[in-house]
Amino acid sequence: MSLVRQTTNGIYNLILGLAVTVKHLFKHAITLQYPKERWTMPERSRGTVVLLSDTETGKLNCTACLMCEKACPVAAITIEREKNPETKKFEPTSFTIDMGICCYCGLCEKACNFSAIKLTGKYEMSIYDKSELIYDMDFLQKLGRDVKYEKRKRVVKKTAVKKATAKPKTTEARAESGDKKAEGTSSTKDDGDVKEKPKNETEEGKE
Amino acid sequence: MTVKELKTEEFMVNMGPQHPSTHGVCKLVIKMDGEEIKEITPHVGFLHRSIEKIGENRTYAQFVPYTDRIDYVASMNANHAYVIAAEKLGGVEVPERAEYLRVIMAELNRIASHLVWLATFAIDLGAVTPFLYAFREREMILDLFEMTCGQRLTYNYMCIGGVNWDIPKEFEPKLREFLKIFPSRVDDYEDLLTNNPIFLYRTKNIGILSKETAFEYSVSGPSLRGSGVKWDIRKAESYSIYDRFDFDIPVGYNGDAWDRYRVRMREMRESAKIVQQAIDGLPGGDIQTKVPRTWKPPEGEVFTRIEAPRGEMAYHIVSDGSTKPYRMKIRTASFCNLQVLPIIGINHLIADLVAIFGSLDIILPEVDR
Repeated sequence: MSLVRQTTNGIYNLILGLAVTVKHLFKHAITLQYPKERWTMPERSRGTVVLLSDTETGKLNCTACLMCEKACPVAAITIEREKNPETKKFEPTSFTIDMGICCYCGLCEKACNFSAIKLTGKYEMSIYDKSELIYDMDFLQKLGRDVKYEKRKRVVKKTAVKKATAKPKTTEARAESGDKKAEGTSSTKDDGDVKEKPKNETEEGKE
Repeated sequence: MTVKELKTEEFMVNMGPQHPSTHGVCKLVIKMDGEEIKEITPHVGFLHRSIEKIGENRTYAQFVPYTDRIDYVASMNANHAYVIAAEKLGGVEVPERAEYLRVIMAELNRIASHLVWLATFAIDLGAVTPFLYAFREREMILDLFEMTCGQRLTYNYMCIGGVNWDIPKEFEPKLREFLKIFPSRVDDYEDLLTNNPIFLYRTKNIGILSKETAFEYSVSGPSLRGSGVKWDIRKAESYSIYDRFDFDIPVGYNGDAWDRYRVRMREMRESAKIVQQAIDGLPGGDIQTKVPRTWKPPEGEVFTRIEAPRGEMAYHIVSDGSTKPYRMKIRTASFCNLQVLPIIGINHLIADLVAIFGSLDIILPEVDR
């Protein structure tokens, strides 16, 4: 008796499973023929990193503040900078991202205050040689030409405004007393940043 | 000379590290007596990336992307575990909306993780069709994740103090659509597998894990619940906002591979229930508490645990008051669950070992870290 029940049960369940597959026979395919058809990537898609430039002047938004370099957990970003003698502001002289070690976490984009770096929906970046994955500044800028973005508005807290207004006063005072001193202070700042770099490198070496 | 007089001896077989049914790189050295398994020795460590040590060399915020890589099938849950630990350490309060979003994402990821398990488990046993169906539904979840945080596997969605991105407008209708069709899809899987005589023959009374063995080896998650122990951190030691939702903890009876399968199938339905409640009660407001860039939690240590899809995931972080943790210990469920394989796997056929190994739902990057 139990054997009969077992077999009828078994046959019923096999047919039940078969019915599910037959049901799907008449449905549309959900696959996509990749090289001919492509997905539309969502707006927030985190793919290739690009550098954004100003829509009017065409210059890079990057101010070489090194925030993205510090935020990067895998140290994929390396920036070299120089002070422009005319505007007295830092400008990046070289900006390289090693896409081979980039983990596409988006922390650089989060750290950037000037809408200068962005992760885009571009994902086709296969190349023949590994060294070609190290993107330099010009290439990153070229990649970012057609990327639409909204410039981030800086939200400055009241306390921060006070500090910001307090600092220029001292520098102005220094400038009045002598340009040489002002230059000296800025160079020490540079040294401080330079000193920090090797620390990070040694820590990574320990791993 | 009769057959009985023939000399027989035990022999060793290497299963893995490239065996497709090991779900990663795990090498099992098996001592065989004919077709029967007499001894199993798992060799792990092929995927060791010293993530705990990396954690000591990164700032608290920088470590979040690494947690994605501990369990890449359920990154949201891995994110959640770390973020909760760091917040407890620094005493950071999380906005209500962020907590709801976290629960939605974690539960969706639990469903996605169980779907991957179902697909691979079925394909290990020779059933190819559920693989295609399960991945179709997983694709819907991954699309939801992609539109929210931009990635399909390594999300980096949660951050210390909340979540990184708010959900976009098109998220809610798509999620509701998914929740509407998902229960019927689970019915489809069950029609295909649950009472299928071939499937029953491959899983019933195979790899019985007793309660006592499970306790001895600190097995957790669905593998423990399959043995009939009603233990779920979401209920037992409620974290985040899980105490606000109404859901059951499914348990098995015999502790065999089929029971573990049943527990996971029912858990998917329960998770869908939680997501439904969370999206209905999603409040407005902030998604993130501002945490300074150079965040220094006070000195001290913290231990938190959550219920990840594979079991308990726990973080023990020791802080010395600097920007980086002094010591970090990660407890992952897969490592403990793998320990019972040499016990429940013996005296079975080698084909059954694949079923037992699959039913434990082990993911190797989580074992090795």
